[in-house]
Amino acid sequence: MTRFQRIKSFISGLLSMLIGLILILSPEDSGDIVLGILSFVLTVYGINILTYYFTMARFMVNGRLILFKGLIVLDLGLFSGSLVSVPDIYILLYLAIIHAFSGLVEILRSAEAIKFGAKNWKLKFSHGLIDLILAICCIAFFKHGETVAIVFGVGIVYSGMIRIISAFRRTTFVYIQ
Amino acid sequence: MQEDFHYYATYCAAFLAGYDHEESLDIAYSAQFVDLCSRTFLFSIKGPSDAATTQLQLEMMDARTDIIGLQDITRIWASFHFLPKDLYAEKKKRTKRYMEKYRLICGPNGELVKEMIELAKGKPLQSVGIAMHVLADTWAHSYFAGTPSLVINNTDYDFFELFKEGEGYIEKSIKFRHSTTAPDDLENSIYTNSLLQNSENSIMNLGHGRAGHLPDYSFAIYKYIPAWKDYEEIIKDNPSDYYKAFCQMVYAMKYLRGETDEFLLDTYAYDTVKEHEERIRSIIQKRQLIASGDWKLFGEELSGKEIADFDLNKYSDEYRKADKDKKSSTFIGKFTDGAIAQKGLVTNRIFKSGNKLAGFSKELLKISRGRFL
Repeated sequence: MTRFQRIKSFISGLLSMLIGLILILSPEDSGDIVLGILSFVLTVYGINILTYYFTMARFMVNGRLILFKGLIVLDLGLFSGSLVSVPDIYILLYLAIIHAFSGLVEILRSAEAIKFGAKNWKLKFSHGLIDLILAICCIAFFKHGETVAIVFGVGIVYSGMIRIISAFRRTTFVYIQ
Repeated sequence: MQEDFHYYATYCAAFLAGYDHEESLDIAYSAQFVDLCSRTFLFSIKGPSDAATTQLQLEMMDARTDIIGLQDITRIWASFHFLPKDLYAEKKKRTKRYMEKYRLICGPNGELVKEMIELAKGKPLQSVGIAMHVLADTWAHSYFAGTPSLVINNTDYDFFELFKEGEGYIEKSIKFRHSTTAPDDLENSIYTNSLLQNSENSIMNLGHGRAGHLPDYSFAIYKYIPAWKDYEEIIKDNPSDYYKAFCQMVYAMKYLRGETDEFLLDTYAYDTVKEHEERIRSIIQKRQLIASGDWKLFGEELSGKEIADFDLNKYSDEYRKADKDKKSSTFIGKFTDGAIAQKGLVTNRIFKSGNKLAGFSKELLKISRGRFL
């Protein structure tokens, strides 16, 4: 990693954690904030895909598919941003499905990791378990307005922590002549 | 390439180059071990994780494709399975990011092949085996890069298998499926490949995943349009390439044994192999999922000795039980030293070419045992 990439990873991690904590600590009326974040992320992602098309994928066989994908994602991002409000239940359902699926996959993978004798099975299993608990929370507490903010906030804080850890990881490989 | 070539054919090549039976077995074992020395395996024997020469499917599914994850993947796959042919290749009207990926495309007879063989000179047989694995793969894995990249490694439906008929070829359309459990159907040209993922850095776009196991079959002749070649078709003639790979291995090992003073690129031990050419070509051209049986028989006829089947844990106990200061004298210890040296060389050359895809590299000059400058 270059110094710039490390700083970028650290700052974006810090910002993610900050937003996540704000959501967790003051979850009232956070549906709009969650929608705003989703819209922002989709819009930036759409722009990224279009940039990728114009700088790389347009030279590739069937590269035009990337252009279409970029346009659709960007459109989706702008559309989400234009919505006045979305009932929390839809966002909760979305979060529940994502967490349940990830949790199941992680637990299955931890079983595979045990089979191969890999050391990270405990970590994978606990990831899977947490994901499943979050999915259950989304369903169980769907009547509480704060659930969306707390579940979404936990996810953002975790992703921020990973970014900060990445910023300090070793990337130099020694070549002995 | 698979166990048939990396283990049994490498044994045959080593024996023809002049190594005795035991030495040939050690070289062949090391060459095949490159495909199995994962971090998971190293963890189980408490070996150095930096020496990993491959990644299990499980490890790859877990690998993050952020910058650090990509650098780790590239260090392993470019160093041991997709040695870049030309780190300074040019292509007009491309961005730097594109060129960094493009320059990692694998191919035979690149400068790195020469440097790698020279690095193995005077080193234990394990380093010879590692070098033979990488050299052989430069032929099999040509036109793909050892880094996840959609714009380089992608292929499309326009994929045909070619069958010799008279002076020319007849074409048969290849069908791809994504079942990891069903074996490839050679009779109907149905092969398994990785799923199309439209994300540039998806692990599905690493190496020849999108072309399935076709590059690993010595009999296969096929044509397709690679993502990077401006809609130009490529014909990949594996029987011809595999024969060249075999003859180049024999030549390289003759150099490593000290029979020649200089290792030259694009040079092959055709004369040494000539006597066996027909037999070798017949094994290479035979349509079968794995040619281990044929190569094994050939090797045993050459040396008159039995070639034991490959056993992953053959040297594990020796390494596990060795004292810390004696580990580097064990079989696996010598292998991990060789692997780290190989990874160091390739990472360093990629880094020096201005390409950060394999991460950063720091050069240390060894002045004596345990002392560096």
